[in-house]
Amino acid sequence: MAENQVSLEMHGISKSFPGVQALKEVDLILHRGEILGLVGENGAGKSTLMNILTGILHSDTGIITLKGKPVNIENPRQAQIMGISIIHQELSVLPNLTVGQNVFLGREPRLPIHFLVDWKNLYYLAKEHFKKLNLDIDPHILLSELSVAQRQMVEVARALSFKADIVVMDEPTSTLTEMEVKNLFSLIHTLKEQGISIVFISHRLEEIFRIVDRVIVLRDGVLVGSAPISQVDPKQLVMMMVGRELKEMFPKESLPQKEKVLSVKNLKRGKDLKGVSFDLHRGEILGLAGLVGSGRTFVARAIFGADPLEEGEIWIEGKKVQIRSPQEAISYGISFLPEDRKAQGLFLKLPLSSNIAITDMKELSFLGIIIFKKLQELASSFVNKLKIRTPSIFQIVRNLSGGTQQKVVLAKWLALKPKVLILDEPTVGIDVATKAEIHALMNGLAKEGVAILMISSELPEVLGVSDRILVMHEGLISGEFLRQDATQDKIMLCATGGANNG
Amino acid sequence: MKNEVLEGTIVRKEMKKMKKFVIIALSLVLVVSLVTSCAKTTPTAKKPTLGLVLSTLTNPFFVTLLDGAQEEAKTSGVTLIAMDSQNDSAKEASNIEDLISRKVDAILVNPTDADAVVPSIKKANDANIPVITIDRAANGGVVVSHIASDNVAGGKMAAEFLGKALNGKGKVVELQGIAGTSAARDRGTGFDTTMAKEFPDIQIIARQTADFDRAKGLSVFENILTAQPMIDGVFAQNDEMVLGAIQAAEAAKRTGITFVGYDAVDDAITAIKGGKLAATVQQQPAVMGKLGVETAVNALNGQTVDKFIPVPLNLVTKENTP
Amino acid sequence: MAKEKTFNEFLRNSSAYLILLGLVVIFTTLTPRFLSLTNLINVFLQTSIVALLAIGQTFVMLTGGIDLSVGMVGICCGAIAAGFATGYGFGFTLGTYPALILGLLLGATLGGISGLLIVLGNFPPFVATLVMMAIAQGITLVFTQGRPIAGLPSSFIFWGSGSVGGIPMPVLLLVIGVVLAYFLLTCTSFGLYIYAIGGNKEMARLSGISARKVELGAYIISGLTAALGGLVLTGRLASAQPNVGEGLNLDSIAACVLGGTSLFGGKGNMLKTLVGALIMGALANGLNLIGVPSYPQLVIKGLVFIAAVTLYIVSSRKH
Repeated sequence: MAENQVSLEMHGISKSFPGVQALKEVDLILHRGEILGLVGENGAGKSTLMNILTGILHSDTGIITLKGKPVNIENPRQAQIMGISIIHQELSVLPNLTVGQNVFLGREPRLPIHFLVDWKNLYYLAKEHFKKLNLDIDPHILLSELSVAQRQMVEVARALSFKADIVVMDEPTSTLTEMEVKNLFSLIHTLKEQGISIVFISHRLEEIFRIVDRVIVLRDGVLVGSAPISQVDPKQLVMMMVGRELKEMFPKESLPQKEKVLSVKNLKRGKDLKGVSFDLHRGEILGLAGLVGSGRTFVARAIFGADPLEEGEIWIEGKKVQIRSPQEAISYGISFLPEDRKAQGLFLKLPLSSNIAITDMKELSFLGIIIFKKLQELASSFVNKLKIRTPSIFQIVRNLSGGTQQKVVLAKWLALKPKVLILDEPTVGIDVATKAEIHALMNGLAKEGVAILMISSELPEVLGVSDRILVMHEGLISGEFLRQDATQDKIMLCATGGANNG
Repeated sequence: MKNEVLEGTIVRKEMKKMKKFVIIALSLVLVVSLVTSCAKTTPTAKKPTLGLVLSTLTNPFFVTLLDGAQEEAKTSGVTLIAMDSQNDSAKEASNIEDLISRKVDAILVNPTDADAVVPSIKKANDANIPVITIDRAANGGVVVSHIASDNVAGGKMAAEFLGKALNGKGKVVELQGIAGTSAARDRGTGFDTTMAKEFPDIQIIARQTADFDRAKGLSVFENILTAQPMIDGVFAQNDEMVLGAIQAAEAAKRTGITFVGYDAVDDAITAIKGGKLAATVQQQPAVMGKLGVETAVNALNGQTVDKFIPVPLNLVTKENTP
Repeated sequence: MAKEKTFNEFLRNSSAYLILLGLVVIFTTLTPRFLSLTNLINVFLQTSIVALLAIGQTFVMLTGGIDLSVGMVGICCGAIAAGFATGYGFGFTLGTYPALILGLLLGATLGGISGLLIVLGNFPPFVATLVMMAIAQGITLVFTQGRPIAGLPSSFIFWGSGSVGGIPMPVLLLVIGVVLAYFLLTCTSFGLYIYAIGGNKEMARLSGISARKVELGAYIISGLTAALGGLVLTGRLASAQPNVGEGLNLDSIAACVLGGTSLFGGKGNMLKTLVGALIMGALANGLNLIGVPSYPQLVIKGLVFIAAVTLYIVSSRKH
């Protein structure tokens, strides 16, 4: 009986932005203790819907009913009071405060003298709260000392400390590794048992199938399907999301050549890199797996000259080179797509055309004066080649969707015609269709002879796209597999250090 | 039920939109009304209009000067536009340009600097607007008349008083005004030459500038107090500085210093009554302002006016405080 | 909804122009003298010094920095150039043109020193330029002994007080400066990099831009335009004044902000900076013309500033 109790009902929700109908008459029902999967491509309206639920946006029409009572959610604070919490894709905890301070920020328990904080009580409450959630984190330590996954847990704990009945999780697993995802899922099950309803947004379909009870699908702002998870299969779900059938999720056709393009020998930098060596061949896609913090990103940054090396050699096409800055790396034909595209990949305030052209200004200018015709031709050619969906090449990239932004980042680096392309989490937070397009593009580049080093936390992606797979653990390469030999279990064993110990 | 909720949200949004515009509209109205309420009525054609550009209006001396000028303007029936250069030569240039733009009949200027004002005076000359300088002279351009206290005489007056008060010997500190201003130069010259000539046994142990400013007078004199164990007398080229210096001496509990100021501002008179200040050379800023307007009116009426019109000075001591 | 958004966008993009237009309308209705050609030239003339300083300030602010030293650097360059031109302090004269060029070079050097402190020493721009402000003021006072330097040759004075074809030299120099800066920002890779650095410095570096050189360039330009402003001011006052310029720093920043330049970098535009400076110039001039006494003038200026920033913020709100 309690299971079927309706906790939240959103009815006929519509919302438009200039030129876009973001949501059209969307209905959503959430039961008590239910885990509801919310899926759809980027720009389908998932975030808009959740922002309306949490008071960040206001709907144009439609009503929201909480436990049978119609409500008006004015702002996020009100949503919290009503028991609705959201955990955003981008972490919103403060690294310079302690775990306990983060959890109770803005609601610190007070001493009788009202303006003094009762620190003892605060940490006690935090500890009790963590106990309930089966979390083993000391509330006294600074958040900056925690791993990304632990920070995510703190964020969940914070959301729940509002006595939330409904928790929205927007891509909570995008920065987590397999192990950490398992922990998060067990936490979600604990919550479910306590009668808390969860809206779970994710691009990773296998996670949707692992955790949710029911799934609803949005496409172009319209609700296109709702079904218990047991009644759909992945293929059907993808079809609903993209409106057509995708042939293969990870198509694979490239064949690496023998010629070494890049060799690194004994890269060392503090505790991040403890002596990493490998070769990368022409036309090869080399997958680099490992837990967050295993040093994967540092390998990429070291090769690209973004961080100085303490020791080690880098060889490009058989010649030993010194790379001291990104500029030098670029001059050797290396391109690097950083992990966090908003913070490191795009100039959000600049138009698409400038974003694509900015790495290649030497080609596009004469005596420092930009040749606009060349620049526009370049931008247009990439918009066509990568099927970038944009109203114009002068669109400010902040206004583009996540998948489109990632394509712009790719275009920016491809404009340099690189020999070595390093991709750090190239498909995080990107919808299935665009993901497939990016994978196809990588294959195409490999065929043309570009050597690709791909860092990814998503094991199916690593297994599906790579010709060869390296696994890192604590700053060292802990395993190497050919495509045909690799399995998720083998990789996880190396990534957690199990291969060395056992 | 449903409709009520729906309408509620729509009304709310409309109100928000309204609010924005009300805020913008209100602020614009506020600005406009302030502008208009402050605007003086435009002068009639016959009444001559005089522009008065003062170097600063944060110094009471010039405020008194302005009061004198305004009073005289009222009695002689002319319109007076006062402007404040805030001690900034560039602002002064703008002010004079604006007055030329307004086609005033004469410009009275109290320059911030003798050289910096010259291009502006030349512009007024080109526009055939007579210029009168007040208190501080200009180093160029055609000026109908210069109205000022005889600051050299004033400096001499101060030196004579201090010399006698110290019985012709002792250690004296001089606090100087803004370097380069004629007031500082003239008062200094009058004081220094008289001291050297008439009181050879008086030693001037420190000469430092405090920019005619009370706060600077305070801090500069604090430093001098630290450096000099024996000080018998202080001459400051204006009252603001001497009042600052008195404050510093009181804070440091140093007594036995004879202070002499210049300008006789209200605070200084109070200080003389209280026995803290021995004397101050009284300029008569109100008279200066009055003479300025008078001279301008005379010149506009075609009378010949003197090139230099001295404004009388007197020495204020405890015996003759007003 | 959509209409409101486009209206907001229009407001946001043109709030500076609208404020200037509003001021012109108000002052024109209050006094017929405001819209005369001579007075408009006056407004430009009175704006020119602040606007010249604001050109360089815009470059710096676009990179996300701030230059608190422009006023003092300008005054310092004016004084040193006046020294070279008159022989004051040096004991020899170099003639007007070498003096002017040395003044500009000094400005570029002082700006460059601020820039080096920032890009090599990792000083926050606020601190580095505050230090430069103090140094420039110190140099000026030591060199001039706090006294104005007069007796400039007429060829020097011409650059601040002269005119060509009825247009005063400061205005002419300002127009040339704005056009050059506009070109630099919109048509060169250097300009693009300036915006890129202001958007995201680390990413600019990862994009292969030598962020340090570009940032240094911004401060050198700031020093250069500050020197130009200082030289013009010296010419305009027919003397180097050591005690002006304190207000110029804030005025140049205010001009940029009124023009919509973001204090966090990456957003702004040279023409709007000019408009921002003109707003301040027109306001001061207009209030003088209609005879508002100087004390209430300050209050009104503050109110207009609040109105301008409010208009910008209200129209920038996303939802």
